[in-house]
Amino acid sequence: MAKSTRTGPGPVIWTLRAVLFLLYGVPILWIILTSLKNPSDVISSQASLLFKPTLTAYTEALGSGGLVSAGIQSLTIAAGTTIVTLLVAIPAAYGLARVGGRITTVALGLLIVLQMTPQTATVIPLFQIFGSWGMLDQRLGVIMADSALLIPFAVLLLRPFFRAVPDALEEAGAIDGARPWRIFTSIVLPVARNGVATTGTLVFLLSWGEFLYAINFLLSPGSYPLSALLAQQVSAFGINWPGLMALAVLTSIPILILFIFTYRLLREGLTLGAVK
Amino acid sequence: MTTGNPSMPTAVAKRPGGGGTTPSRNLRRWGRGKGRLLYVLPAAVFLAVLSFFPLIQLIRMSVSSVTAATLNGSWDFTGLANFNAGLQQGDLSRAFFNTVIFVIVVTVLGLVGGLAAAIALRHSGRISALLLGIMVFVWALPPVVNGSVWKFLLGDSGLINGLIQATGMADKPVPFLYDEHFALISVALVNSWAIIPFNALVFRAAVLGIPAETFEAAQLDGAGPWQEIRHVLLPAVRPTSLVLAVLTVVYAFRSFDFIYVMTYGGPGTSTNTLPFLGYLQAFVRFDYGLGSATAVLTVLMVLVLAFVYARSVRKEENE
Repeated sequence: MAKSTRTGPGPVIWTLRAVLFLLYGVPILWIILTSLKNPSDVISSQASLLFKPTLTAYTEALGSGGLVSAGIQSLTIAAGTTIVTLLVAIPAAYGLARVGGRITTVALGLLIVLQMTPQTATVIPLFQIFGSWGMLDQRLGVIMADSALLIPFAVLLLRPFFRAVPDALEEAGAIDGARPWRIFTSIVLPVARNGVATTGTLVFLLSWGEFLYAINFLLSPGSYPLSALLAQQVSAFGINWPGLMALAVLTSIPILILFIFTYRLLREGLTLGAVK
Repeated sequence: MTTGNPSMPTAVAKRPGGGGTTPSRNLRRWGRGKGRLLYVLPAAVFLAVLSFFPLIQLIRMSVSSVTAATLNGSWDFTGLANFNAGLQQGDLSRAFFNTVIFVIVVTVLGLVGGLAAAIALRHSGRISALLLGIMVFVWALPPVVNGSVWKFLLGDSGLINGLIQATGMADKPVPFLYDEHFALISVALVNSWAIIPFNALVFRAAVLGIPAETFEAAQLDGAGPWQEIRHVLLPAVRPTSLVLAVLTVVYAFRSFDFIYVMTYGGPGTSTNTLPFLGYLQAFVRFDYGLGSATAVLTVLMVLVLAFVYARSVRKEENE
């Protein structure tokens, strides 16, 4: 660990930290505070700190009933996408980690291109394709589209983890007479489990927040997941701020729970990938 | 949160196809080599159907006349008419210009801010751990949530305008999101804010990778904090910043969610970037052909970026 023992953090560093706290801590506190206000308090002055906290925004949001079904929709889409993506991406990442040569180079290049492609370039043709397949207004369509969006990301993130599994382990398994599939499932996968957990978490987070496919492929707001509901309401009116902030907080709570359990993993997994 | 992928995928597996040290029959049957490409098959099929086929459809639509009425019928081939229309309406050049400004702002701020945050949080301790945790959590939040929060904070009677007026810097609310000149920069600032935590995390790992002796040697030589940053830190993070720069450019280029939530491309066309313009043309103006043409242009730009990325990664791996 690089630590400058002599000086320690100086005044510049402390100023920077204060700025970071203002930039990242305050907005979070602010939405929580706002979600506890009465709409009438917000109209007069949004910047006031003195107000009577109320759960009106939450009870109203939850009372409308639509929110619960949106939450279930979010959960189904995110969980479905995570499962499909991992099922497809894990073997692919392993294959591409173990086989070299031109095919792999081309495959990796294509994956990078897919990952960089803006979602607009796929939402337009997929809307047409799903229309002709009768897959519009169905969760399955959104799950499939989300998976196609995230599989390149997942493969590229997983591959270094599989490359880090020593060849010798697999050879030992082969000498013991294990078949390739068994070597993969009972030797390689357990060693690379951190990579799988990191990737699974990120895929879940990303599909939880995805709204462009949801808003276009699901035809009525009644079947929107939370993210699409929030996107639609904020871009449409933006008047009932406490209600919207309550919706934002409710959308974030599952992320917070997941984050608490996986923060360590994310911190390590992300940087491991990026700095080898 | 859709950052680029943080890993470095382009290097081809360097180990030779078959180790060949213990050539037992089992090993040969195990088939080290190309056999394992079978594992890639499901992904190949999945992406062929749901990614590559759509891209081919996109290209077909971009050279056809496709409207809401003809979407699922037969399309008339119109050649480059959609591209010409985009150019003549002036939307394309405006959106291109917006995209360039947007990408420059997000990339510069994202990299400088990320590095500054990494330096600020490099000493281990409870406070920097807590700050890093908060920042990564913000990064993990859905962009819809972050976009909504900033739309609220930047509103006429929002927190930022409240502070500006309270300190007397302006007596009227600043129209951050509905002024033609401010809106693009405001959204770009929020986008940089959203990517800084990720860049900080990656930069921080590079900073922590510098051996402690290097710092000690610098201090023995009488280097102050600024010299330390200039002569020890910056050279050490240079390779990381190259790759991160490309990832941030891609992130900014693809940006969609924040624009959708905060300005919906407006006011007027002032926050239309190329990807967003394509979306508006297809799903708001229902001219799918026109939107596809714009989207095809973004894919072409992605091809260039992907090439640059592959090269910078390979260069770093060789260093």
